[in-house]
Amino acid sequence: MAVAIAAARVWRLNRGLSQAALLLLRQPGARGLARSHPPRQQQQFSSLDDKPQFPGASAEFIDKLEFIQPNVISGIPIYRVMDRQGQIINPSEDPHLPKEKVLKLYKSMTLLNTMDRILYESQRQGRISFYMTNYGEEGTHVGSAAALDNTDLVFGQYREAAVGAAYAAKRANANRVVICYFGEGAASEGDAHAGFNFAATLECPIIFFCRNNGYAISTPTSEQYRGDGIAARGPGYGIMSIRVDGNDVFAVYNATKEARRRAVAENQPFLIEAMTYRIGHHSTSDDSSAYRSVDEVNYWDKQDHPISRLRHYLLSQGWWDEEQEKAWRKQSRRKVMEAFEQAERKPKPNPNLLFSDVYQEMPAQLRKQQESLARHLQTYGEHYPLDHFDK
Amino acid sequence: MNLFQSVTSALDNSLAKDPTAVIFGEDVAFGGVFRCTVGLRDKYGKDRVFNTPLCEQGIVGFGIGIAVTGATAIAEIQFADYIFPAFDQIVNEAAKYRYRSGDLFNCGSLTIRSPWGCVGHGALYHSQSPEAFFAHCPGIKVVIPRSPFQAKGLLLSCIEDKNPCIFFEPKILYRAAAEEVPIEPYNIPLSQAEVIQEGSDVTLVAWGTQVHVIREVASMAKEKLGVSCEVIDLRTIIPWDVDTICKSVIKTGRLLISHEAPLTGGFASEISSTVQEECFLNLEAPISRVCGYDTPFPHIFEPFYIPDKWKCYDALRKMINY
Repeated sequence: MAVAIAAARVWRLNRGLSQAALLLLRQPGARGLARSHPPRQQQQFSSLDDKPQFPGASAEFIDKLEFIQPNVISGIPIYRVMDRQGQIINPSEDPHLPKEKVLKLYKSMTLLNTMDRILYESQRQGRISFYMTNYGEEGTHVGSAAALDNTDLVFGQYREAAVGAAYAAKRANANRVVICYFGEGAASEGDAHAGFNFAATLECPIIFFCRNNGYAISTPTSEQYRGDGIAARGPGYGIMSIRVDGNDVFAVYNATKEARRRAVAENQPFLIEAMTYRIGHHSTSDDSSAYRSVDEVNYWDKQDHPISRLRHYLLSQGWWDEEQEKAWRKQSRRKVMEAFEQAERKPKPNPNLLFSDVYQEMPAQLRKQQESLARHLQTYGEHYPLDHFDK
Repeated sequence: MNLFQSVTSALDNSLAKDPTAVIFGEDVAFGGVFRCTVGLRDKYGKDRVFNTPLCEQGIVGFGIGIAVTGATAIAEIQFADYIFPAFDQIVNEAAKYRYRSGDLFNCGSLTIRSPWGCVGHGALYHSQSPEAFFAHCPGIKVVIPRSPFQAKGLLLSCIEDKNPCIFFEPKILYRAAAEEVPIEPYNIPLSQAEVIQEGSDVTLVAWGTQVHVIREVASMAKEKLGVSCEVIDLRTIIPWDVDTICKSVIKTGRLLISHEAPLTGGFASEISSTVQEECFLNLEAPISRVCGYDTPFPHIFEPFYIPDKWKCYDALRKMINY
C-alpha cells in the first residue's frame, strides 16, 4: 500500500496542489482525498476558523453529548390519495386520470388476480411446478407501472445491475428511467446497500421501489429490521425518499410519476416504500397459517384491498357496475384459461438446448458434452420423459 | 511498455474506439493503485473513468447493469483477493445472464480486471490466485497474461468478447521488464494456449508469472539433464485449450503443470484429469503438479510456499526418471 500512497503523492505534486492539501496527504490512510471534490464540499480549506474542516461531513460542532434517537414510534408518514372506501381525501392530489386509464388500471389488477387464482390452482393440480401469487399487492405493481414510459427499464430484482443500467441510460441521454422492484426482505441484502450507495454517488436516474408487504416468507418485519422501514434508509444515502399507501393505486401512481419526472430531469435516485400486505402465501411451497392468524389476513382481504378501493372509486364515478364486473370476470377467466391451455399443449424445447447460450458461442468442450448426451439418449432414451419434449 | 502501461494502452484504445466504454472501480480516477488508469480520466472525462464506493459486489453488479444495456463496462477489483464479495454477482448473475434469459439479455460487454498473484510481500490478502474458483463457473471466461505484449492483446480480446470476462493481471510483473508493445490496438485470441518453446521430452504448462518460472526450468533441464521441454502458456483458464495441451502430451508423454494457487482443487487438477482421460496410453509417467501448499498464502514464509524453479526442476527430474 506504500506504493499506492507514494504514487498518489507524486501524482498530486504533478497536479500542483497547495502545500496544505499535501499536509493531509502525508497522513497514512489518505484514501478518499484523491478524488475530485463532491458537489456539497463546504468553504475553502483554512486552518484559521474554528469551524469543522473534515472532508467527510458538512456539519457544525456541538458540545453536548447526545445520541440521535432512531424514530420508530412515529415514522415517516404514509402518503395516500384515497381512503379505504375509495374516496379522494385531498382533491388537489387527485391525478384526474381519464376513464380509459382508470379502467385499464382496474382491469390489469383484476386480470392479474384472476391469473393468480387459476395458476395457483393449476399448481395444486400438478399442471405447473411452482407459483407465487400477488394477492393484496396488485396496487403496487399496476400503479407504478402505469406511471412509466414504454421505453423505461424494469428490473424485477438485481438492485445493483439496475443502477448500472440507469448510469448507462444517463450517459446515452436516453430519457429513460430504470425502476427496480424488491421486497422489504430483499432490502436487507448487501446488494440493496450497494445499489443505494452507488445510485446516489454516481447520480443515476433510478427509482427504487420497495414493496413492504409485512413478511419475507415467514419472517415478519419486526425480525427483518429495527429502524423505520426502508424509506428511512434513503436519506442516509442521500436519496429522496417517500412512503406511500401501496394499496392506494393513485398514491402509488402519483409518487412514481413524480419520481420518474425528477429522476430523469435531475439524474438522481428516488426511493419509494409502498406499504402493503401479502394476503396470499409466499408461494405454492408455503402455508402461512403456520406463522400468522387467519384474522389478520381476512382484515386486509376485506377491509383494505387495492382492487376494492379502486372499484369503489369507479362505482362512485359511475364508470363501472355489477353487470360489467360479472362480464369482465368471465372474460378474464376465459382469457387466462385459453392462454394456459395453449401453452400447456406446446412440447418443451429439445434437450439439445440445455447446452445453448452458456456463452455467445458454444465452446468445443461443451459441444462434446452435448454430443455425449445425444448418444446417451440414443441408448437409454426410454428412461427419460422424451415424449414431452420437442424432437 | 511495462505491463501496467500496456494495460493503460489497451484501455486507452478501448475508450477511443467505443464511445460507450467506461472504466470504474476503487481509486481508478487518479490513476489507480497500480497506475493502470493514469491519464484516462483527463482524456475521456469523469463520466467515463470514475471511482465507485468501496464495495466489490456493487462494482460488479453495477458493471453487469451497464453491460446489459449494451454499453462496455470495464470494472476493476483492486486486488483479486477482494473479488469474493462479488462472487455471487459473477457466478449467479453475470455468468448466467444469457443462459437464463434464453439469449434475450446478456452482459457480454462486461470485463473485470484485477491484480493477481504473489508479489514478494503480499501475504494473505494481496497475493491470491483465485482462478480455480471461477474455472468451475460456466458462462464466464478467465484470462491471465504473462507479459506486457500478451496483456494488451488479451485484454482487448476480453473487452471485445461477447461474454463476461475476468482478466487477472500478475501484479509482480506490472513494473518488471518492459518490451515492445504496439500503440495501436491488436488482439490475441482467447481460449488458445501458446507453445512458447517446442520440445520433445516433457510438456510444461503454466500461466501468468509462473510461465517465466517454467521457462527457466526448461533451460535448467536442458543444461543439467539434456532434457528437451515443450513450454506452454495456457493464457485462458476457461474455456481452456484442451487440444493444444493434449497434442503436446501425445508427443512428449510427460506433463508438469505449475501454479501458485493451492494444490487441492487448483486448476492443475482439471488439466491433469482431462489429459489422463484423453492421453492415457501416451503417458510415460504420472502427471506432475507443482503448486502452492494447501494453506492460506503466507507472509514471511512466502519463499518456502511458492512453486519455485527448484521444486519444478525436482518434479521434472523425478518424472524423467520414472
